[in-house]
Amino acid sequence: MQDIGKVRLRVPSTIKAGEPVRVRALVIHPMERIERDAKGQVIQKKYNYIDKVLVTYLGKQVAAFDTTQSVSENPFFSFAFRATGAGPLKVTFLDTAGGKYEGTADIKLA
Amino acid sequence: MIPRLLAAALLLSGCAAARSDAPAATVAAWSTRAVPEARGDVKPLPDGRKEAVRYPGWTKEDFSAFRTYGYGDARPEPAVQKAEPPAGIAGDAKRGRALFLSRAKGPCTGCHLVPGADVWPAGNVGPDLSAIGGRGLTDAYLYAQIHDPRVTFPKTSMPPWGATGALGSGEIADIVAYLQTLTGPIAAETDVDRNPATRRRPTGFGDNLDPTNNPAVVLAEGAERLWAERGAAGKSCADCHEGGVDRAMRGVATRYPRFVKGYARVMSLEDLLTVHGPERTGRALPMESDDNVHLATRIKMASNGLPFAVDVESPEARAALARGEASFHRRVGQRNHACADCHTPERGANKFLGGRWLADVRDGLTRHFPTWRTSQNQIWDMRKRMQWCMTPLGMNMLPADAVEYAELELFLTSFDHGKPLSVPGIRH
Repeated sequence: MQDIGKVRLRVPSTIKAGEPVRVRALVIHPMERIERDAKGQVIQKKYNYIDKVLVTYLGKQVAAFDTTQSVSENPFFSFAFRATGAGPLKVTFLDTAGGKYEGTADIKLA
Repeated sequence: MIPRLLAAALLLSGCAAARSDAPAATVAAWSTRAVPEARGDVKPLPDGRKEAVRYPGWTKEDFSAFRTYGYGDARPEPAVQKAEPPAGIAGDAKRGRALFLSRAKGPCTGCHLVPGADVWPAGNVGPDLSAIGGRGLTDAYLYAQIHDPRVTFPKTSMPPWGATGALGSGEIADIVAYLQTLTGPIAAETDVDRNPATRRRPTGFGDNLDPTNNPAVVLAEGAERLWAERGAAGKSCADCHEGGVDRAMRGVATRYPRFVKGYARVMSLEDLLTVHGPERTGRALPMESDDNVHLATRIKMASNGLPFAVDVESPEARAALARGEASFHRRVGQRNHACADCHTPERGANKFLGGRWLADVRDGLTRHFPTWRTSQNQIWDMRKRMQWCMTPLGMNMLPADAVEYAELELFLTSFDHGKPLSVPGIRH
């Protein structure tokens, strides 16, 4: 997986001030998890999954999501926020191995 | 040098004499470079029966008895049979209805609408049979019609159910008994989607090039690793094709499938990767392997937005197109269907087959392939799609890299000539 941490953000091309906007975010991440055998013993202790997603808009944190290892490989998140002004929307993914991956979308008001 | 040339010439002539599956001198012999489940093999079982090798989850039924697209398959269509209802057997209308709806049989509802809220989804390729029993048709006529409709309608798309053994005589008698109970009147529809005539057309799945929407984009981008990774021969794709996939491969996919002189056959991009990849890099890229499909998708993405410009003029291309067109109209398999039955507007195109909307060949069927299939959670290239099309028709698959498929793909792609690529697509 060469692209680990590559973030893709999609926002609508036309946004009106004050209206809710749906954001689609995808991050390339293996989401490695702990595996157990039939007896419940841990057989693979190496794990690395995204456990936090932070959304920053106009320099202010507007949302934080706590995620667990049950989320799929290359996880996709979709959420809505209210666009109040033009500026950057930043989504930050934090994983359990200390990785920090960011993607920014420029919110332009029509 | 001379003895070697002579030996090669002898070998070639030997091949030509032994080979009976080629229709023309331009189609060279080929051994498949597909993964085992994509080769169309038939495996004998210990009890003497045979089992077809197909992809995981696909039927294993062997359809060796029915003709295929193989150029070497000279068998004719099943002979037309005029049948009489079995004497002394009264059909059971209840069993007939179950057979009519059974997905293990036809289902007849794939093409014909009948009354009932449980009839869903019905198609409209064939006539609406909701009141067929009120038309005063005799049992003998209906029986003969289901057994082999070609008796009355030589150009019909309907399979000869009895003549190929797909339905037994008792089963046909049951269906006839059921149809005769449909005397009307037709109840008013309560659900617009039940009746294919009023059913809403399927809409798409959003932007197929958006990686947050189409998982195939992410898979294909993952193949950039293969592009740059050196194979056993110490070379990578990137070593010869410089400047990154997008620059090096821009426009390449618009020219495929095409006649490749070096291999003396029509090849799609996927076909070419199976031989060109191992020859230059030492990496195996068998047909229908994930590596092949993902890399081919990534290479095609470099031509997105550019119009298809396949060669349809050279003598080789014209010969291949003629054979591809013949395959398109060739009736094959237990169902005795042709591609044209479903994909030309005179027949099934722009109608429903069950719940599926049949695409029209003139609109182009290929420019979004390889495509993500939401129903399969997999990315499929054109060949796997063809193999899937032909399996319910009761035909054994050809190898995924068979020239018959390549030339059929070229014929289909010729309708996309001048239209822009949009790869990977996203479909149900």
